[in-house]
Amino acid sequence: MQLKKLAIVAFSISSLFASTLFAQEESATARQIVDKFQTELISVMKEGKKLGYTGRFEKLEPAVTNSHDLPKIARIVVGKEGEKLSEEQQKKLTDVFTKLSVASYAHNFKDFSGEEFVIDSEEETKNGGVVIHSHLNVPDDKPVKFDYMLKEKGASWRIINIIANGVSDLALKRSEYTAILQREGFDVLIEKINEKIDNYAKQ
Amino acid sequence: MKHTIKIISLICGALVSSNALAKTMDPYEGFNRAMYDFNDGVDTYVAAPLANGYKFITPSFVQTGVNNFFTNLKGINVVLNDLLQAKFSQSAADLGRFTLNTTAGIGGFVDVAKYAGLEQNEEDFDQTLAMWGVPEGAYLVLPFVGPSTMRGMPASAFDAAANPATYASIGANFASAPLQFMSALNARANAEGALKFINEAAVDKYVFTRESFLQWRKNLEKDGNVSADIDAELLTDDKELAFKWRDYQKQFESTAISFGSTTQKFDLAAQRYEQASSKVEQLKKQSRK
Repeated sequence: MQLKKLAIVAFSISSLFASTLFAQEESATARQIVDKFQTELISVMKEGKKLGYTGRFEKLEPAVTNSHDLPKIARIVVGKEGEKLSEEQQKKLTDVFTKLSVASYAHNFKDFSGEEFVIDSEEETKNGGVVIHSHLNVPDDKPVKFDYMLKEKGASWRIINIIANGVSDLALKRSEYTAILQREGFDVLIEKINEKIDNYAKQ
Repeated sequence: MKHTIKIISLICGALVSSNALAKTMDPYEGFNRAMYDFNDGVDTYVAAPLANGYKFITPSFVQTGVNNFFTNLKGINVVLNDLLQAKFSQSAADLGRFTLNTTAGIGGFVDVAKYAGLEQNEEDFDQTLAMWGVPEGAYLVLPFVGPSTMRGMPASAFDAAANPATYASIGANFASAPLQFMSALNARANAEGALKFINEAAVDKYVFTRESFLQWRKNLEKDGNVSADIDAELLTDDKELAFKWRDYQKQFESTAISFGSTTQKFDLAAQRYEQASSKVEQLKKQSRK
């Protein structure tokens, strides 16, 4: 009987712990999300050569999808052109865009030569978002500024844009994607994105 | 009649508004795209092979030295523009940088100032004009030169005038021509990484180049101080769009619910049939008894 009581107490404590940990994960701050993502990126870069492209892609997929709001980003980059897309096309775009985002990280962050991310400051935006200002120190080169814009999603935060040395990835992609949608249509856009993914995998 | 014209013009306005931003900054897109293709051809068949050859045959320390030399020559222009923008303390640092590199850095070939903690600032006359309130104007792609703007085009003439490398070729003598050629070769060799990145990342190279060039210039104007609300417009647009995308979701869900309720009705009818048949069975049994 005593043993049974002890087991119940132990179970309650462990579930309490688990729920606390879960709550912490759920309510991560914008800064924690960026910090965790940058740490994961550097760790993949350190193992980059050993992992190869496929290994880097597999390791980065959860890191990118858990820190970025990719469905929202995919929606923003097609702008008002998105209104014309069918439900099936919206889903296709989100899937292909997610793959492109991971592939681009796996291709561009392939090796390590002493790089280091540093978070400089945090700023609240007028529309309820947060910008985390950071920079990447590159040995024997100028540091690269990385400003991450995050929006609240549920109890946590997600990256919706990265501004590298003042160039907004969201605005850049939006200009390109809407131009292609207007000129050549949805299928050509998907074809071109898939071409980029294939090229990233080859190099 | 006036009202009808007003309404028509408003409708037309609304129809073009999605494309208005691109048209405002790039009204000469047809000409620019043609120039872009021309430059791309020149780059593929002339500039790239020359730059690759230069990189192949020149040791990397010489390439660094050549780059330092031309960057240092721009130093005078940087100091001038610092002063024109009333950045006095920065102008003193940049003057120190130029003097140190020209003397201790053997004519600018060694970037001694970097080790002395004097970072290189990027200032030019286009940024000065922006600070004075001159509007950027339309985007332009110039033959052999590449991306620019209506404001950037005359500004680059000022920058060239303040660069000693320009005067070295004025005499068109045997010694000065290679200096101008080396400057162009060095610029192309430096652009190699950026051009490779564009080829890999862009789904539309022309739009990618235009957008990143204009954003990069804007960032220089603001001395790298990115506004927290840089994409406020995109996010405001998204609120409207998210509602519409959710609408698809709602339509889908409501269809699923109505299907569900129809199925429930079928289930209920089937249950009643079953209940009725069991009652019939019971009545049969009772009548047999």
